[in-house]
Amino acid sequence: MTEKLVINFTVNGEKEEKEVIIGQTLLKFIRDELHLTGTKEGCEIGECGACVVLLDGKPVNSCLILGVELDGKDLITIEGLSKNGELDRVQKAFIDHAAFQCGYCTPGMILAARALLDRKPNPTDEDINEALSGNLCRCGAYQEIREAVKASAEKK
Amino acid sequence: MLSYDYVKCNDLRLACQELEEGEQVYLLAGGTDLIVGMRGGKFSAKTLVDIKDVPELKVLEEDDRGITVGAAVTLNEAVVFAPIRDNVPILAEGCHSVGSYSIRNRATMAGNICNASPAADTAAPLYCLDALVNIKSSEGSRSMPIKDFFAGPGKTALNKGELVQSILIPRPYPEGKGVYLKASRTGSVDLATVGVAVQRWGEEVKIAIGAVAATPVRAFSVEKAINEKGEKNYADAARLVHDDISPITDLRGSREYRYHMVEVLVRRGLEQTLGV
Ligand SMILES: Cc1cc2nc3c(=O)[nH]c(=O)nc-3n(C[C@H](O)[C@H](O)[C@H](O)COP(=O)(O)OP(=O)(O)OC[C@H]3O[C@@H](n4cnc5c(N)ncnc54)[C@H](O)[C@@H]3O)c2cc1C
Ligand code: FES
Ligand code: FES
Repeated sequence: MTEKLVINFTVNGEKEEKEVIIGQTLLKFIRDELHLTGTKEGCEIGECGACVVLLDGKPVNSCLILGVELDGKDLITIEGLSKNGELDRVQKAFIDHAAFQCGYCTPGMILAARALLDRKPNPTDEDINEALSGNLCRCGAYQEIREAVKASAEKK
Repeated sequence: MLSYDYVKCNDLRLACQELEEGEQVYLLAGGTDLIVGMRGGKFSAKTLVDIKDVPELKVLEEDDRGITVGAAVTLNEAVVFAPIRDNVPILAEGCHSVGSYSIRNRATMAGNICNASPAADTAAPLYCLDALVNIKSSEGSRSMPIKDFFAGPGKTALNKGELVQSILIPRPYPEGKGVYLKASRTGSVDLATVGVAVQRWGEEVKIAIGAVAATPVRAFSVEKAINEKGEKNYADAARLVHDDISPITDLRGSREYRYHMVEVLVRRGLEQTLGV
């Protein structure tokens, strides 16, 4: 049985070639092999959204994907959102609106929101609810999160 | 960590060959059932065959036979496909009610029916639309009505070596409104406690229900009352649904609660599609 495979991918704009253990989730691969620990591990069964990353620009639950599936794809994690030391609009809006308490859900929330704004620059409340439907916040910052997403839309 | 082989397929013939020749081979589409299931010990795979980038399975098109949804098309892609939205919105509703937005970026309709949960949210709409499942193997192709495809909880009519290539929503499309009404414990990210699809076809209706029997079922008693006997009292008609279902008690709801909710949702579905 092949235990490891070599994969090629882009992570936060950089091309990479790495070995990945078959059976390792993309979530573990990101945290343990790429050492990008901004992506969080919550439920590991697709229910909480703490592990959301952008794969080819789309928000997905990295706990339900295998590391090997990254081959040939483009991955963006929360570490890749800021450009030249400047935070992304959504990140700033989350700070301005205090859209978190503990912050555990924040990376997933921000990436899901970023992807929403990329496909719908002026989302309705319903669009925001849909886009964040898989992201739970145990601290209950939902109100502030929605405000932050709206504010980042308006700033465009 | 689980150990198995991983084969990435870029053509359908190869995927069929892997299925036919290997032991404990599982197809990996979106993985949203498979990966959770493997971790929980529900499946033990020796080989995963990744079909999500097989070009023949990415087909999403409409022609004179109807709408074809390839097995690697994600639910989000299906939801925004204009022919589905415009001609069979009940199916868009069913797809949209699965999990969350991020889940639907991976999850497929084929994976939903192949997992064969009686609660599969695309199933009841597909039953109401008389969908056909196009099946492929190294030997050839065949297709079967969706109602014959579901064989029991977690069981399909697929034989060894066979895979679902696509799902066809045949023409003619229904004339009239259709709704999918889902009761679940949370607003999103939960399986249906019960799911009721009611589709008007001209002056008649078709009704299908999920999570109330070993497979999704049609509510023939209710349909007969409306379509053949001309029953106009929808509450009375909805009560007959008790003859069509045999729900169980589980963590999502008791048997009694399911009986009650199905009746309520069937009545609402009739009101919304046929008019109060
Ligand atoms: C958090 C969460 C929430 C969910 N919520 C819902 C919900 O609300 N409603 C609902 O119905 N489901 C829900 N699900 C279940 C799941 O997302 C759906 O059933 C989904 O449609 C499965 O598709 P997939 O492509 O991910 O399938 P996979 O996991 O890739 O495959 C599922 C099964 O089908 C087999 N298979 C896949 N494709 C084929 C094929 N072409 N031919 C033959 N066999 C095949 C696989 O080998 C596997 O056994 C949820 C899952 C999660 C993790
Ligand atoms: S850790 Fe992936 S959804 Fe919870
Ligand atoms: S800020 Fe704590 S979980 Fe959302």
